Amino acid sequence: MAEPLPLDPVTFEVLKNSFITSVDQMGEQILRTCYSFVIYNRDFSSALHDAEGNSAAQGNQDIAVHVGTLHFTCKDVMRAFEGDMHPGDVYAINDPYVGGTHFCDVRLIRPIFADGKIIAFSQSNGHWSDVGGSVPGSFDVAAREMFREGLRITPIRLFSQGKLCKDVANLLAANTRDPASIIGDIQAQAEATQVCEREILRLVDKYGRDTVETGLAAVQDYVERAVRQRLAAIPDGEWETQDFIDRDPASGEGMIPIKVKLTIKGDKAIYDFTGSHPTIGSIYNSAFGATFSAVAAGMKTFFPDLPLNSGFYRAFEIIAPEGSIVDAKWPVAVTGFLMPFEKIMNAIYEMWSKIMPERAIACAFNLEYLLTGGLDGRRASKPIFMFYDWLPGGWGGRNGKDGCNVTTACFGTGLMSQPVEGQERANPILTTEYEILTDSPGPGKWRGGAGVRKTSVMLEAEKTVISYICDRERAVVWGIEGGLPSMPHGLAITRAGADKEEWLGSVFSDVPIGPGDVFSRPTAGGGGFGDPLERVPALVLEDVKDDYVSVERAAKDYGVVIRVIDAELCDYAVEEAATKALRDDIRAERGVWLATDPEEVAAGYRAGTIDKLDAVRRYAVILDWDTGTLLAQTTSQFREMFQLRSAAKWGAGATTGIAAQ
Amino acid sequence: MQNLRVAVDVGGTFTDICIMDEASGLIRIEKTASSPDPIDGIMAGLDKAAVDLGEVALFSHGTTVATNALITRRLPRTAMVSTRGFRDVIEIRRANKEELWDTYKDVVRPYVPRRDRLVVSERIDAQGKVVTPLDEADAREVARILKRRQVAAVAVCFMNAYMNGANERRMKEILEEVMPGVPVSISSQVLPEIFEHERFSTTVANAALSPVVVNYTSRLGERLKQEGYKRDLLLLHTGGGVMTPASVKDFAARLAGSGIAAGAIASRHIAMLCGFRNSIGLDMGGTSTDVSLAYEGQSRVTKDWFVEFGYPIRFSSIEVLTIGAGGGSLAWTDEAGSLRNGPQSAGANPGPACYGNGNRQPTNTDANVVLGRLGTSLAGGKIMLDPKLATEAVEEGVAKPFGLTVHAAADAIVRVANANMSDAVRLISISRGYDPRDFALVAFGGAGALHGVDVARELAIPAVIVPPNPGVTSALGCLLVDVQHDFSESYLVEAADADPAAIEAAFARLEGEALERLAHEGVAPADTVLQRSIDMMYQGQWRSLAVSAPSPIGAIADLIEAFHQNHEREYNFRRDDAPVSLFRLNLKAVGVVPKAELAVHEATGEVPVPVSRRPVWFDGGTALDTPVYERSDLPAGLVLAGPAVVEQLDSTVLIPPGTRAEVDQYLNIIIRVRD
Repeated sequence: MAEPLPLDPVTFEVLKNSFITSVDQMGEQILRTCYSFVIYNRDFSSALHDAEGNSAAQGNQDIAVHVGTLHFTCKDVMRAFEGDMHPGDVYAINDPYVGGTHFCDVRLIRPIFADGKIIAFSQSNGHWSDVGGSVPGSFDVAAREMFREGLRITPIRLFSQGKLCKDVANLLAANTRDPASIIGDIQAQAEATQVCEREILRLVDKYGRDTVETGLAAVQDYVERAVRQRLAAIPDGEWETQDFIDRDPASGEGMIPIKVKLTIKGDKAIYDFTGSHPTIGSIYNSAFGATFSAVAAGMKTFFPDLPLNSGFYRAFEIIAPEGSIVDAKWPVAVTGFLMPFEKIMNAIYEMWSKIMPERAIACAFNLEYLLTGGLDGRRASKPIFMFYDWLPGGWGGRNGKDGCNVTTACFGTGLMSQPVEGQERANPILTTEYEILTDSPGPGKWRGGAGVRKTSVMLEAEKTVISYICDRERAVVWGIEGGLPSMPHGLAITRAGADKEEWLGSVFSDVPIGPGDVFSRPTAGGGGFGDPLERVPALVLEDVKDDYVSVERAAKDYGVVIRVIDAELCDYAVEEAATKALRDDIRAERGVWLATDPEEVAAGYRAGTIDKLDAVRRYAVILDWDTGTLLAQTTSQFREMFQLRSAAKWGAGATTGIAAQ
Repeated sequence: MQNLRVAVDVGGTFTDICIMDEASGLIRIEKTASSPDPIDGIMAGLDKAAVDLGEVALFSHGTTVATNALITRRLPRTAMVSTRGFRDVIEIRRANKEELWDTYKDVVRPYVPRRDRLVVSERIDAQGKVVTPLDEADAREVARILKRRQVAAVAVCFMNAYMNGANERRMKEILEEVMPGVPVSISSQVLPEIFEHERFSTTVANAALSPVVVNYTSRLGERLKQEGYKRDLLLLHTGGGVMTPASVKDFAARLAGSGIAAGAIASRHIAMLCGFRNSIGLDMGGTSTDVSLAYEGQSRVTKDWFVEFGYPIRFSSIEVLTIGAGGGSLAWTDEAGSLRNGPQSAGANPGPACYGNGNRQPTNTDANVVLGRLGTSLAGGKIMLDPKLATEAVEEGVAKPFGLTVHAAADAIVRVANANMSDAVRLISISRGYDPRDFALVAFGGAGALHGVDVARELAIPAVIVPPNPGVTSALGCLLVDVQHDFSESYLVEAADADPAAIEAAFARLEGEALERLAHEGVAPADTVLQRSIDMMYQGQWRSLAVSAPSPIGAIADLIEAFHQNHEREYNFRRDDAPVSLFRLNLKAVGVVPKAELAVHEATGEVPVPVSRRPVWFDGGTALDTPVYERSDLPAGLVLAGPAVVEQLDSTVLIPPGTRAEVDQYLNIIIRVRD
């Protein structure tokens, strides 16, 4: 039961809630005043720190990907300006090599003074629309070092005793493609940190400096105590898994492993990344701050009710081999850190799903960004346009529940997708399709959520290029507990006048694109949970009525035979006897499919007898989806994991026929 | 002779009826249990109150019928027809979640399932140009299928229809031709604004609710007519006005928050009567508290509104913040030793521990009983409160774990609840740029008057107003409204390029529509008031701010300056050097309904005698011997110094030491927290 608190229970509870409210007020202010559309769509976070820079409160609605990094940047600013901080100062930093995320995430930090001494810091972190570098939006897939990525902001003073340092602000703005918005966002973020300052000073006024100071520490102790109690209640043990980045563009075929071993010992969790691959020749590397954040966010998913602050971060420890893909050092490119980030998160989901089966969840679709820009030919002045888009997709199947359809990527569930009507006003692009993609959910007893497909036509535009940042074209979204993978990510383009699609895949940059060219990409569904042959046929039937699953794949993936009675009235029926027979057949055959020579599968794909979903779900074979060439090393890695996550969990079927449903 | 005004507010548990005699201004209250068909409860209540409907000049009504239909999904089969390629806009939404971290808590399903979302070939571009005309064969095929499916309502939602509604209108014609009698909502009429999900979501809710509310209002209208009522039924909508059944079919979703707006309106009106143009409403019930704000006599209005997360209904709505803190909220200690309050609630059943229905966890009500702030009976003796059970619950749940005395523990529970409510008030006031010191707090709902002074003290609010019937204040709100419609139109222009004549023409169009609608509802031109506003932002910002606009429109420079000022008030900074954009034109059209004056009571100079005295703990320390008054004994003009407790049928008023309470001529209790 309750241990004695350093504060009386009411003061403690009031301070705890007030700290969170002060941070949420910053978020509210930012949303209403920001210029960056990325911030507006909720890629931001806010924090209140104690005088040592530790996080005392972080926003309830903050994007997951900033969790656990704000105290690093606060502390680096403190190091830089020690002894030289004044009321009304605001500092800026975006440095990933001292614990930031990537260059676009620019943090403004304000020291809060009470009685002439710093009592706290407030921090507002937002994703600016551009921070320079070689491509619009500052995502250059081809970068290997940070110099092409954007401006690295080591700690700088942006406001001095209440006055904007115009020289410094102008230098920042002048190094971006969107200077007017950058100045606007500097003001919006600086104001937000002041909203928090106002609240803290109110508390100091009411409760006194000492009490507030004690409160800032007590709320961290409180969260630490709660996490540790829950960890201690879990029997000690070790869990391990690995997930992959598709490839190293600077090297040959073969997926890039990120290995994680979780040890729970007493009231502590240790995440050991030993065995993970060294950094690779692209932007898909993570520095230590981002890796720390991925662990915090992944673990927090299993403690959804606890407030976020440094108390939470004190309950776990990370071991990351130096120079590995989860510990990139300057000047290795890290703008694409979200790719390893999401792999770490999903790996943590997988391990914790075993510890807390009641909250189990299979793999989610992969975050994707599309950037295309050039000159807008619709207007006489031909202004520059920058179309920067991201899509929702399916989340993993759960224990007793299907995965969520069309939801924001797991790196930041608060992030909103953009309205097509807004995009069409701003850019010479017409979208012809933005719909749920039938058969995208990974099959399972509880299927994954559905992904989407978005298809657009480039209108009057000049000097336009397209880039795409995604992954899991090969490390396809996986199922757990016998569930199946969903489908590969990747973008295809149909040139104006051409009758055939070109597959450009999940990562490319600066490909020229012109008027009339059509570009289209799906997002994967979530991975399945549990053996799809155990899914209740009536649920498959409902999915067919809603076109989440086709009649054809209902048979192939679930072994459920569905008769179409009157499609216009959504009238379908399950053929029970045929279903039982088909499920028996699949049970007998699926081991054989998995042992099929991958070259044979590749040949079938090229001949058109095996499609992409068959290759992934039935044969666990990964190909170059354009040419149909086998990726042997990748396939062997994929099969190894498929065996562990899916095949090993399939029962003999004696108790799982439809009669048992 | 028609000299009665009747307002009915139907909630989940109770149907409240407020009857006002126009001649005397006196108000009577009737409370009756709600029934499965709300109309039965209303008629039973009217009967119980002995209202002769033949004498009723005006009948207004706030209802949760639409809200409940959405939440329970008891909706008629509704279909959505959209542009090919955009079948799933309302399911894709903005793809975000309300519970960011809980992977097992999902956003609820859309109001129309995927199987009933059909598509046709047509397309309009961002400039409003028809890229693909509506494919008539496609449209007829869809209509034929929907007819076979016997859908009861259809929403037509086409891309960029806010710029050009021609294809939607044609689709509607075809649907009406093939399936006559089935209501069809089109997005270009329901909400001609940019952003497809928000527009489609509003249109779909509108379509699905249309049969529900048309059925309900026509049945209710019919019953009232049978009983002798001769005028139009007035329905309170989310925007804080009323509309007549003539508008219900086309704007059904405006009733989706009908029940929520009433309390905010009443709170604003009562504060105005007491001379406060700025007020904050604190409506604390059994499970939750609604907080609203009026500034300069106007309720704060928002367009960010929904019944369920993910499905916006983008009509102007009175802004109400709801938090899970009510009389029945549970106090508990979490694993890490922190004292928490709510949002879980003991509800009405089993209710607080002192109800004796089996709940043993302490609630706010139990804490108030322990502190002597609440007596041992509620609702005139209908509910008995057992102080022994309350004490046990507080003792076990809070006092023992924290090593506190039972009174200190009860005090701690109440203070945490008050702090939570204060945070909500802070969010709607301070964080929106309002200084609480300029406001009065109107405390109502069953439990508001117990906590009002503490919340006011926390925020330095100088005065607390407790209306005469705190528990039925929302019904009073239904009496105090005008006919009101809100019109809006996307208007995306840089202020520097804006042409006052073009804006004037756009407003004239909206005004024409508004006058027509008001005339259709029988509002005389002399009773019509039109208020213009323009949503503006700094070029490049993503959220806009409303700026009131004159008629005729005047100089753009004045609008820009007004925008700078609003921005500075709300967000504490302005950018004089930054270009400003226009985003949307809004028009509020009001048909003024003559208000009856509330009765004025003369000061009698009588000094009431306390009905009893009891020890009351105003903090966790020692009790004060406190007089208890019966509310109906308190005459106008009375001044009471705290400590005192005032009991009445529907509430208990706490007047702590150090405060002074006055009873005004409308019998409101005004507690001066600081002078």
